[in-house]
Amino acid sequence: MLFDWSSVTRYLDLIEQGLFLTIQISVVAFSGAFALGLVGALARRSRLLPLRLIAATYVEVLRNTPCMLQIFVVYFALPSFGLKFDNVVAGEIALALNVGAYMTEVFRAGIQSISSGQIEAAASLGLSGTQIFRHVVFPQAIQNIYPPLINMVTITILGSSLLTAIAVPELLGSALVIQSRTFRTIEIFAVVTGIYFVLTFGTSTLMNLLGRRLFPARARL
Amino acid sequence: MDWQAVWDSRSLLIEGVFLTLELAAVAICLGSVVGLAAALARTSRLAVVNWAAQGYIGLFRGTPLLMQLFFIYFGLPYLGVNVDRAVAAIVALTLYSGAYIAEIVRAGIESVAKGQRDAAQSLGLSFPQLMRYVVIPQAGLVTLPPLVGFYISVVKDTSLAYVIGYSELLRNAQSIIDRTARPIEVYLVVGLLYFAICFPLSRMVARLEKRVMATR
Repeated sequence: MLFDWSSVTRYLDLIEQGLFLTIQISVVAFSGAFALGLVGALARRSRLLPLRLIAATYVEVLRNTPCMLQIFVVYFALPSFGLKFDNVVAGEIALALNVGAYMTEVFRAGIQSISSGQIEAAASLGLSGTQIFRHVVFPQAIQNIYPPLINMVTITILGSSLLTAIAVPELLGSALVIQSRTFRTIEIFAVVTGIYFVLTFGTSTLMNLLGRRLFPARARL
Repeated sequence: MDWQAVWDSRSLLIEGVFLTLELAAVAICLGSVVGLAAALARTSRLAVVNWAAQGYIGLFRGTPLLMQLFFIYFGLPYLGVNVDRAVAAIVALTLYSGAYIAEIVRAGIESVAKGQRDAAQSLGLSFPQLMRYVVIPQAGLVTLPPLVGFYISVVKDTSLAYVIGYSELLRNAQSIIDRTARPIEVYLVVGLLYFAICFPLSRMVARLEKRVMATR
């Protein structure tokens, strides 16, 4: 027998645990990144210079250093400042911060895509700043940035694998554990490759379908 | 803060920077060749070639680079190929970036209206002529910002070679921390080094994007 799949099936529970942890990390990190991106984009367009500076620095620093380094900083360096997290939480924070910087730019582009005439029109109708954002800018911006948004979700799922480096037993981590126990490298990696593939392509296909339901006007374009 | 520890380990950091740049440069060059080939294969009329390219691109874009790295490092020996760390890192980063570059190049080619390509072919231009005189002059500039943007991410992604023990910048930083127990100082310096490499390139991408917008 060239391949021995029993070594994989024997560890199905480990793979399952890893899969759920990967999904959990991705959901938490992307939710955080979404919120950070929204706040970051608003801060970048703020009238207050300090806010703009903070947001710009956040985006540039996080986008121009490796995600792996950011994970290490949160997990190994922040405890020196009294901020101690377990490895899953530290990883989620680092991933959210990293993807959040890219999301800031995505949201910024989305907000910029709304013509200033619309905002002026809304203001002249007596809408407050918050109302304009909530009823005029945001619904249209989210439509315009929906494709890059899907891309960001994929990046988050793939990025969650980096938490292996701080010993988080997510999907890749569990694969490595099984590999070190059975030495059935090809079999285990083939299975995990398949799972990642289904995860990323499944998510983006589902989100595309959802987008067609949510934004019928855009689908017709 | 104690900077003496960092200063004493400067030779390790400098070595790390060079190995990071070396790995990135090799992966970018080889990845561009592979990516170009895959993009051309995607336009092929031969179904087998087309599918093979699609499968390759989908596989490497749909799975994490870190997994690809482990798979190649642990898996290749089973195929009778003994790889050292540097080779595994180069192979993984090349195949990974090839898949992304293929999609960037394809998007560039498709940014030239299909009618133009049909017209050029009906005028009897060969494929190389079509590329040389019709597609590249128009698609080249459009492709540049995402391409350079991706090259930046390759520089950052070399840090993943850390996990298989390749002594690039992050690995050397970690070993300095193990010896000195000075994570904050070392991470600050290493972060600055990565930033110093990536930030100028990022600015270049932003400028190129403006140039592309201006031509529209």
